[in-house]
Amino acid sequence: MRLRFKLKTVFILYFTVSLLGLIYALMHLGQHCECSEHDMTKDRTISRLLGKLHSLQGHTKKEPTKPHLPTIYVITPTYARLVQKAELTRLSQTFLHVPQLHWIVVEDSSQRTDLVSHFLEHSGLVFTHLHIPTPQDRKLQEGDPNWLKPRGVEQRNEGLRWLRENIWAGETAEGVVYFADDDNTYSLQLFEEMRWTQRVSVWPVGLVGGMRYEGPVVEQGRVVRFHTGWRPSRPFPLDMAGFATSLRLVLRNPEARFDGNSPMGFVESSFLQGLVTMEELEPKAEMCTKVLVWHTRTEKPKMKREEALQAQGLGSDSKVEV
Amino acid sequence: MVEMPKRRDILAIVLIVLPWTLLITVWHQSAITPLLTIRKACHHLVKEIFIIPERLAARRHRLADDGAEGRHETGQGSDSKEYCSSDKDIVEVVRTEYVYTRPPPWSDVLPTIHVVTPTYSRPVQKAELTRLANTFLHVPNLHWILVEDAQRRTPLVSRLLRETGLNYTHLNVETPRNYKLRGDARDPRIPRGTMQRNLALRWLRETFSPNSTQPGIVYFADDDNTYSLELFEEMRSTRKVSVWPVAFVGGLRYESPKVNAAGKVYGWKTVFDPHRPFAIDMAGFAVNLRLILYKPQAYFKLRGVKGGYQESSLLRELVTLNDLEPKAANCTKILVWHTRTEKPVLVNEGKKGFTDPNVEI
Repeated sequence: MRLRFKLKTVFILYFTVSLLGLIYALMHLGQHCECSEHDMTKDRTISRLLGKLHSLQGHTKKEPTKPHLPTIYVITPTYARLVQKAELTRLSQTFLHVPQLHWIVVEDSSQRTDLVSHFLEHSGLVFTHLHIPTPQDRKLQEGDPNWLKPRGVEQRNEGLRWLRENIWAGETAEGVVYFADDDNTYSLQLFEEMRWTQRVSVWPVGLVGGMRYEGPVVEQGRVVRFHTGWRPSRPFPLDMAGFATSLRLVLRNPEARFDGNSPMGFVESSFLQGLVTMEELEPKAEMCTKVLVWHTRTEKPKMKREEALQAQGLGSDSKVEV
Repeated sequence: MVEMPKRRDILAIVLIVLPWTLLITVWHQSAITPLLTIRKACHHLVKEIFIIPERLAARRHRLADDGAEGRHETGQGSDSKEYCSSDKDIVEVVRTEYVYTRPPPWSDVLPTIHVVTPTYSRPVQKAELTRLANTFLHVPNLHWILVEDAQRRTPLVSRLLRETGLNYTHLNVETPRNYKLRGDARDPRIPRGTMQRNLALRWLRETFSPNSTQPGIVYFADDDNTYSLELFEEMRSTRKVSVWPVAFVGGLRYESPKVNAAGKVYGWKTVFDPHRPFAIDMAGFAVNLRLILYKPQAYFKLRGVKGGYQESSLLRELVTLNDLEPKAANCTKILVWHTRTEKPVLVNEGKKGFTDPNVEI
């Protein structure tokens, strides 16, 4: 009897101790582990990075399926010069923010250059890489002022040709065509303004035509005339960056293109004349009162020292792409 | 009668064993799981979460790969240090699709890049700041310190900064005008942007204490240059001062530091005064914030600075040539271009101004 009694107390004692131990362990579960042999900062970094990764992965999956947005086809003529890569780089950084954008880059060249090919491949954008050389007589010569001959005409026409051949001209062809030169500056809001163009939409352009800005004048929701400092009698005194055409209109009018032989300042009109009348223009940018695009131009970098070095055969490494 | 004690014995054994099994299971789950994570993750240490807009096939590395082998090793906590020390298995995590969140979500791990941009009013200002903002909106953990050369913060810049959604600080200090010269000429003895950059340095020193553990990098970015996104990731790992080539400066295609086989900077590949202490453009270097805070006397020299010596006036107080860290593949790649924007010819505005002055450009 006594033995059993002792065993019982031992048993109860043991049971209580182990229960207390278990409760203690459970309480200390979620708390900081005093395992000093681990490299705690690295652990923390790793678990935090993992957490970040998972949250970012979750973020991509959670992105709601957007309603079908019309695609903006941006046609950019470009040509090789020192600042070309820089211009394309900062242009791509703007375009990367715009959803459903298809960049059509047309080089003024008889073949695709490596610089532009590599650049486009790594840009992260949806792109089409075309090329067409400008005929020699249309090219600006050294010393010509830049307004003497219209630039980029053949390249823009090539972009239009590609669109007409490759985009299905069905009833539901939804999209907008915009001509964006590689040295201008575009705000992100501009692309959302142009996305829903039905025929041709217009807006002001900053720093062009010798003025702070140039653009349409809107009265009662319609374009009545154009505010410009130079030859306002032109049919469409707009800058290339100041309008966008709906894809449907482009595909339905296969003859509409830019005329390189038109007089100075009439290139835009040569394209728009057959497509739309002034009354049909859709004013954007808060009835053409806001400037969302600027006709910036980049200086030609001074290469005096480079040329001097090259004369000595000591020019900077040509393998380094600038 | 024999069965009763048997049942009681079984009950007794169960009651003895139960708490211990529970204890062991629960304890192991809490202690071993971090061990397992270390096992998995140390084999593939995540260097940084690099958001690259790649539209090609996924290069995302799956961290759950060797989970199976991790579970075998238990209770060997002391060995974890050896596993973690190997840096050879570092992979970058690259995302496939680009997520249109502007700016990217703030990360607790990445060092903050404090970009100091002096700016001043002129017709192209809004355009320059717009495209600069479009670039910065891609960079995670970027803090833009925009310092206006103006008596008061202008509404144009305030509004622009607010609308971008970037993390920013808006400061202003006016460079004193030289009243002897006609028009809006500033004191020509003070190089442009100096007072503004110094104000930003002072702000950083007043805002962050040297003891804080928030890592940061300071970069001086002018508003007309062009920056690639890769540049910001290169500078993020700066320990003291990092350097790289800059295109279109010094009358050359590019200027670059000279790097020897040991990966140390020993000179400058420039034509214009290569014997300057630091023959580098403002856009060609970045400084760790800690260094800025530890040397609170280091500022850009205001007056008496020869052309091209501005950068040296700051850097020589911070670091020696030996401490420089070359980036951009040992200074062989161009990641920043010193572009300059033409001044627009506003001939048609005339004396009275042709366009509506209320329309902001």
